[in-house]
Amino acid sequence: MSPRLSIAAAAIVAATVSGAVHADGEKIAVFTKNQTNPFFQAVRLGADNAAKQMNATVLHYVPTKPDSIPEQMSQIEDVVVKKPDAIVFTPVDYKAMTPGVAKINNANIPVVNITDRSEKGNFVTFIGAKDYQLGLQTGRYLLKALGGKGNIVILEGVRGVITNADRMRGFHDALKEFPNAKLLASQPGNYQRLQALQVMENLMQSYSQIDGVMAANDAMAVGAIEALEGAKRTALVIGINGTKEAVDAIKAGKLLATGDYHAYNQGCLSVMAALRYLHKQPVPKEILLPVSVIDRSNYQPYDIAPDQRSCPKWDEVVKQ
Amino acid sequence: MTALTMPRLALSGELRAIGHRLLAVVALCTVLSLMSDAFLTTGNILNVLRQAALVFLLASGLTLVILTAGLDLSVGANVGLSACLAASVIQATGSAFLGAAAGLVSGCAIGLGNGLLVTALRLPPFIATYGTLWVIHGLTYWFMAGATIHGLPPAFRALGSGYWLSVPIPVYLMFVFLAIGIGFARYTTWGQEIYAIGANPVAARLSGVPVNRRLALVYTVSGAMAGLASLIFLARLNSAEGDIGEPLTLPAIAAVLIGGTSLFGGVGTVSGTLVGALILTLVLNGMNLLAIDANWQPLVTGAILIIAVALDVLTRGRDGANR
Repeated sequence: MSPRLSIAAAAIVAATVSGAVHADGEKIAVFTKNQTNPFFQAVRLGADNAAKQMNATVLHYVPTKPDSIPEQMSQIEDVVVKKPDAIVFTPVDYKAMTPGVAKINNANIPVVNITDRSEKGNFVTFIGAKDYQLGLQTGRYLLKALGGKGNIVILEGVRGVITNADRMRGFHDALKEFPNAKLLASQPGNYQRLQALQVMENLMQSYSQIDGVMAANDAMAVGAIEALEGAKRTALVIGINGTKEAVDAIKAGKLLATGDYHAYNQGCLSVMAALRYLHKQPVPKEILLPVSVIDRSNYQPYDIAPDQRSCPKWDEVVKQ
Repeated sequence: MTALTMPRLALSGELRAIGHRLLAVVALCTVLSLMSDAFLTTGNILNVLRQAALVFLLASGLTLVILTAGLDLSVGANVGLSACLAASVIQATGSAFLGAAAGLVSGCAIGLGNGLLVTALRLPPFIATYGTLWVIHGLTYWFMAGATIHGLPPAFRALGSGYWLSVPIPVYLMFVFLAIGIGFARYTTWGQEIYAIGANPVAARLSGVPVNRRLALVYTVSGAMAGLASLIFLARLNSAEGDIGEPLTLPAIAAVLIGGTSLFGGVGTVSGTLVGALILTLVLNGMNLLAIDANWQPLVTGAILIIAVALDVLTRGRDGANR
């Protein structure tokens, strides 16, 4: 209990102290989608780490109600008045937030778009990973591990969310490559652990043999594993996002693999890109981090708490 | 004690009311068993009961609150914070018992807080518990800082995923609390006073019912049940994160209302809430068994809930429609 508390307390102290005292460094406002998803927590920690290295200060703006469109909109209005030197922006909704992006653009504040690509707006750069590739490669990895055959179920994220649509396309294209694998059912778990667990329990009632599970995120993958264990059944399960929890499950031999969404590095690079832009250094219009599948053979670099990681060097990741 | 005669009348209709509610369950089950071979199997029935248990436990305490014409919007948030606290205590001390105690205490404390806001400060229940919801969310997010706790001891997990005589443990808990709920509401003075408060708070006060104390009690019970549900939840999921309780509130309220308890208070039963929880669970179960396309699932869910309640209202005739 205490480490978590102290981390939270330290973060709050650091945020307030750095925001108030260091008036010399550039101020960067970082917008993320929610407080609850470990993915965005890692993004924020990466942004903090990069800012510390480059003597800038980061102020975080996170909707108190997860993924709230009106709340992020009013946060943008506040920030535009405060005029930070640059903004790092994840839209809570890639379409609905375009008026917010227009407000930032009108205020002439340079803005870096990360994770979810905004439909419209002028950005210094976009930094993210390809959801389609994540789906395709993790799906492919699962099917190869099954020898190209077997009964598969898919646990979908939230319908209408772009990450889910792209990941599903990836899963389905992977399935097309292996005609001997059979898709039994594709059911929504809404990126939620409990729903994925219950959906998996229900699917196990209708299908006596399930060999592989493709989950659109790690929380659902882990939920599905709980359901399988509860029913004393086994199947190979893959998730997406590369969370610490998923890495632990891989280490324990419960999860086959997860796709790395590079949360921490997205946070690092977004702040670096903003500062490079302010320092008039070149920044490519798009930085797509390579998709990699984390499994038993390569999990070690990920087996570390996000608050203890450190940022990669810009030149190592961004080549020309 | 004139105010107490009315709830007795309401209670006498309990079985009849549930009979109608059960009609929807039977209809759903019949359709599903015709459409899927997997539906009417022991495995799936236990599966549905286990899934319904979580909703029922949360909704049973809430039933008492709604019977007083109150509302508790904070139950989902309560589950989230209580589960996170319980998980942290288990992780720090290694003791499943201490963790369970932490979850229950947290649940009760939040419930008591709601009760005091409603009675001592006389806040409308909607506002009081809506405010509490945000306070709890804030505390949970701060406490967890985006982290996930996972990997709980097997002894604790048995609470959610264990079996006794081939029946899942949560199913036993569901029936135990169903019996306690019916017994409390039907056969104790306190239970009847709760109906009386919901039916007419002024009359209840004038006839000597300690309204504030009973109100504080129902909110505390609702919080305690959220604390208990958080333990089952935690034991089933084997992990806790900041937003896990969020999606539970509306289904719990829906289970109470589908089960025939009136939002205006004074009318309803705990057993009806079980029926409500079953209907909600059967819908998801059925859609999964039939592998209905994700695009259509929200529509199917809404349609079935409306049909289920309409069936009840229509078969009961006009008198029933008002409540």
